[in-house]
Amino acid sequence: MVKPSSSSSSTSQDALALFNSLRSAYSATPTALKIIDLYVGFAVSTAIIQVVYMALVGSFPFNSFLSGVLSCIGTAVLAVCLRIQVNKENKEFKDLAPERAFADFVLCNLVLHLVIMNFLG
Amino acid sequence: MVGKPISEHVNGGTNTSKTTSPKPFSSDLLSNLSFKTLKLKTKQQELLIRVSILCLVYVLAFITRLFSVLRYESMIHEFDPYFNYRTTLYLTEKGFYEFWNWFDSESWYPLGRIIGGTLYPGLMVTAALIYWALRFLRFAVHIREVCVLTAPFFASNTTIVAYLFGKEIWDTGAGLVAAALIAICPGYISRSVAGSYDNEGVAIFALLLTFYLFVKAVNTGSLAWSLASAFGYFYMVSAWGGYVFIINLVPLYVLVLLITGRYSMRLYVAYNCMYIVGMLLAMQIRFVGFQHVQSGEHMAAMGVFFLMQVFYFLDWVKHLLSDTKMFQAFLRITVTCAVGVGAVALGLGTASGYISPWTGRFYSLLDPTYAKDHIPIIASVSEHQPTAWSSFMFDFHILLFLFPAGLYFCFKRLSDATIFIVMYGLTSMYFAGVMVRLILVATPAVCLISAIAVSATIKNLTQLVRAKDKVPQTGSTKGASSAKGSSKGSIDQSQPFQKNGAIALLFGAFYLLSKYATHCTWVTSEAYSSPSIVLAARGAHGNRVIFDDYREAYFWLRQNTPPDAKVMSWWDYGYQITAMGNRTVIVDNNTWNNTHIATVGRAMSSYEDEAYDIMRSLDVDYVLVVFGGVTGYSSDDINKFLWMVRIGGGVFPVIKEPDYLVNGEYRVDKGAAPKMLNCLMYKLSYYRFGELTTEYGKPPGYDRARGVEIGNKDVKLEYLEEAFTTSNWIVRIYKVKPPNNRW
Amino acid sequence: MLKLLLAFLTLTLPFLAHSFSPDHPTDRRVLVLLDDLAVKSSHSLFFKTLQSRGFDLDFKLADDPKIGLQRYGQYTYDALILFSPTVDRFGGSIDLAAILDFVDTGHDLIIAADTNASDLIRQISVECGVDFDEDPSAMVIDHTSYAVSDSEGDHTLIASDDFISSDVILGSKKIEASSILDNAPVLFKGIGHTINSENSLVLKVLSASPSAYSANPNSKLSSPPSLTGSSISLVSVVQARNNARVLISGSLSMFSDRFFRSKVQKAGSPDKHEKSANEQFLTELSKWVFHERGHLKAVNVRHHKVGEADEPAIYRINDDVEYSIEIYEWHGKSWEPYVADDVQVQFYMMSPYVLKTLSTDKKGNYFTAFKVPDVYGVFQFKVEYHRLGYTSVALSKQIPVRPFRHNEYERFIPAAYPYYGAAFTMMTGFFVFTVVHLYNK
Repeated sequence: MVKPSSSSSSTSQDALALFNSLRSAYSATPTALKIIDLYVGFAVSTAIIQVVYMALVGSFPFNSFLSGVLSCIGTAVLAVCLRIQVNKENKEFKDLAPERAFADFVLCNLVLHLVIMNFLG
Repeated sequence: MVGKPISEHVNGGTNTSKTTSPKPFSSDLLSNLSFKTLKLKTKQQELLIRVSILCLVYVLAFITRLFSVLRYESMIHEFDPYFNYRTTLYLTEKGFYEFWNWFDSESWYPLGRIIGGTLYPGLMVTAALIYWALRFLRFAVHIREVCVLTAPFFASNTTIVAYLFGKEIWDTGAGLVAAALIAICPGYISRSVAGSYDNEGVAIFALLLTFYLFVKAVNTGSLAWSLASAFGYFYMVSAWGGYVFIINLVPLYVLVLLITGRYSMRLYVAYNCMYIVGMLLAMQIRFVGFQHVQSGEHMAAMGVFFLMQVFYFLDWVKHLLSDTKMFQAFLRITVTCAVGVGAVALGLGTASGYISPWTGRFYSLLDPTYAKDHIPIIASVSEHQPTAWSSFMFDFHILLFLFPAGLYFCFKRLSDATIFIVMYGLTSMYFAGVMVRLILVATPAVCLISAIAVSATIKNLTQLVRAKDKVPQTGSTKGASSAKGSSKGSIDQSQPFQKNGAIALLFGAFYLLSKYATHCTWVTSEAYSSPSIVLAARGAHGNRVIFDDYREAYFWLRQNTPPDAKVMSWWDYGYQITAMGNRTVIVDNNTWNNTHIATVGRAMSSYEDEAYDIMRSLDVDYVLVVFGGVTGYSSDDINKFLWMVRIGGGVFPVIKEPDYLVNGEYRVDKGAAPKMLNCLMYKLSYYRFGELTTEYGKPPGYDRARGVEIGNKDVKLEYLEEAFTTSNWIVRIYKVKPPNNRW
Repeated sequence: MLKLLLAFLTLTLPFLAHSFSPDHPTDRRVLVLLDDLAVKSSHSLFFKTLQSRGFDLDFKLADDPKIGLQRYGQYTYDALILFSPTVDRFGGSIDLAAILDFVDTGHDLIIAADTNASDLIRQISVECGVDFDEDPSAMVIDHTSYAVSDSEGDHTLIASDDFISSDVILGSKKIEASSILDNAPVLFKGIGHTINSENSLVLKVLSASPSAYSANPNSKLSSPPSLTGSSISLVSVVQARNNARVLISGSLSMFSDRFFRSKVQKAGSPDKHEKSANEQFLTELSKWVFHERGHLKAVNVRHHKVGEADEPAIYRINDDVEYSIEIYEWHGKSWEPYVADDVQVQFYMMSPYVLKTLSTDKKGNYFTAFKVPDVYGVFQFKVEYHRLGYTSVALSKQIPVRPFRHNEYERFIPAAYPYYGAAFTMMTGFFVFTVVHLYNK
């Protein structure tokens, strides 16, 4: 790993500075987007829990494992897509009505969950 | 809006001889009816022309594939379609759940085959749905007619998708030209002719549909289009094993966009939704199973997925952070971590065998010499041989040089969509060069890109032509503006021979396109409309002679053997024997178990007594061989015999190929190797042939397919007896005798 | 007229009812072909033993032009005895092919050859797997195991007791002598033959002793004899794959009354037997050849899933299966249950996946239960029971075995509960999220 040669204190200082600036930048985002981010975080953490469980127990009903993990990842990914489409800062999507974006999101999630139900076993 | 005085100007691309002008027709009507209500505006005229062109192209795509139905009868061709037909029949008779769980004990005796889990159900389900829909509408069709006509029907649908795709990439003119080109392109017709009830007939439609929907999703950034492309991908996965092409091309495309800096938020939305939902849907097909997460061929998509997450995450962080230096540090850390983790995961997976390496079929695309050395079964299929230039010319004709022209146009107007079509075209052309049967996959790309070339060229030429028309009407100052959109560079408008040159070039273009149409029809008629189960030849007086020996033999089997009789033949004929003869076979075209096939190959290449032991161990009752010596039919078992030896020898080293050759040469006459003259295949093919005179002026026992007089004319069979030989000696069936009673 | 017809029918009906049939395997009508009608009287003891057991013997000269085995496609005899070693051509419609066909359709045969046996007899024997010595005048000579006799001194009359050890073929009564409880030897004078060791259908019933050899007794030996030792077989039987039985003997005189009644003293042994074992030996052997002993039938093969009664058309892997079969043995007059503890059934697909010994209830019923292996395919229930002297039982019944259907797996797998939970959590999370997102304003 290539790192600028510096003492450990400046590294941690850098990291702290990075962390702080990220935090301050993030707190400027609108609440709606923060809700979506929370939702994404929830999905990803559930996915990680399942992977850890699989590493412990083994992957016996592999289809159940895959459907569980993919439902989390799918939810996360779709939520991120919604966030992208709803975010007013994205110039590409400025003439996409947020209702339309949300309707697409709901449709995709319905399909996702239906397939997950079939795949779950 | 009142229509202005309309001249014959028609906006949008024009096409070849297919343009019809509604003008004379409507002017007749106009005289009777009100002027304003029926007079069509330019936009509506254009719409009418487009719709009529599409309808004509739709019908054309269907009817050009009907040659063999008109000449012979409505029957299924070739070998693989018989399996598909049998499974579709089963599906319509027993319902979907029985089909999904079907265990077939009649093929691959005694191993059986789980058909429900080892086929791609898309084609069968499609045909069954069409059949049930027609039945619901009270059309009493037989499932065989539906099966025979499924491929032309989907070819027509492909033209519509090609039109939409062309419209997405370039404009409506290119779309129309693409639809017309793909309707008659021989590369596609070869696998979608009526009777060729094979996966590719439906798969090319699914392929093009998926690509179109994906490009539309990338262009619009809408989740709904992305979901639609996921469904298109699901249909493709259910239809053909070639879906691997999609799951590798799309990530490659995303990667190219990321590298060239053309990425955007729309790409993220499109790819992610398609990948996750598409992967989930694809895993519902039993035959595909968990390959999307376990097979090396699908790892590219997963890798690009993770790369995208990292990429866009970094992009977002960069957007959040205003300080670039801090961001650089962050970037470095994240990238190194990500790459490290990815490499470790990939390495662990591949080394531990969890991620399976590329399977033989697909690996031989990357390394064309692999199959010949390691997997003789793959190398023996004639469709897997590398493509010759003549095949390209035969299947593509003028599209072959319109393809680079189209590439040029695409590069001049790069956008997300044109980059996609360029990548599709280049990768598919590479694969088409490696294997003959993959010309089919390249055909839509070639048609689309050539359509761009044709459309752009003709548009420019007609604009040149029309520009000269405008000059006298509206004044010379307008001349400069007519150069818009012309990518031939600025032309000096004021020279009068520009118009003549343009007209001449236009005629040249129309001539080329009409030659293309003629060539395509000729190719379809001559080369691709043969059912291959019914052979035709010219008799001595020029009359057509039909050899229906295959069906004769299969129906003999069906009617004259006990229902649980087991038939041993080379794997080519397995599907046909099961479907038409309704008897259990030892090996068939699925070729999933190489050892079983090698056992049959060993039996065919051994002496009669060793072969008898092998046949007794497999409970074989009848042996079927195909022999072309009387008719001159060259795809018979003696010509395929060396492949039997190679495949058998690959598993049983007791069979050695040099034993059957003389100085490296394969002969069946007097100078042939002694093992060749006494092996089972030789005996079964030439039994009683030594007494037969096949050609005037030649000695008896003259083999017309090899052109020699056979070496061993006095064939005696000890453990088998002849059961049936068809009228032209093409198919010969032998019965295996039970062991002697007293010894 | 009608009464005459009725009388005729009632007289012949028992005759017809007793003919050979699978339910009644003992032969009834036997054709005896002789070279010379004197044989009928010189071998009368042997024929009487047959007739006393209920056989109808039909004596004909071998070259009688009216003899035939079949009439209008039906076999008129159930067995054939050829006591005509020197016949060159049979009369009527009998020839080599007819005799072989006769055997191949399940009928029994007794052939007796002798010195100067004709080529035809030799050929019939070759087709049954037995090779006589090529020298037509050769006889079996044994200088250590010959029978002491006043008249013949060239040691061609041999006394042999090298029997095959099989109670089924030779009967369970030990061959007794009248006074001394000792095994009496069998007198033999004739030609020897060999059998192919690879042929599993031929058995040597009476072999020569290791010091025997086959040569012409009247001429000097010019080269070492080709047939020597105990590889020379004096009497052999063949049980064909369709269970037809053939008895081939190298001596016609061993069937004669003279040999039946004569005293025997083996050279080098002090025992004098009052009577040779020929009568007992050949009587028991003829009982075996004519299927009065050692004839099994296996009927009523049934297989079904445990708990069900009818036979399914297809099994599933890991099913529990019960298999049962009934085996009976024919005891001359009736079928008795066959009792053995080594009947096995295989569940076979190119190799036996399951091999189980069937347990019996001693009343002819054999049954077992096993679990179908975890492999799918087309299996066979194979019972291959080949025991020395018994008819072979080779049954095989084909049955496919399918894998699990998609809804035959365990419905809810406990190890997967976290995944189920995660999926449902995602769904509720989605629902909550939509509510929050929509009503956030």
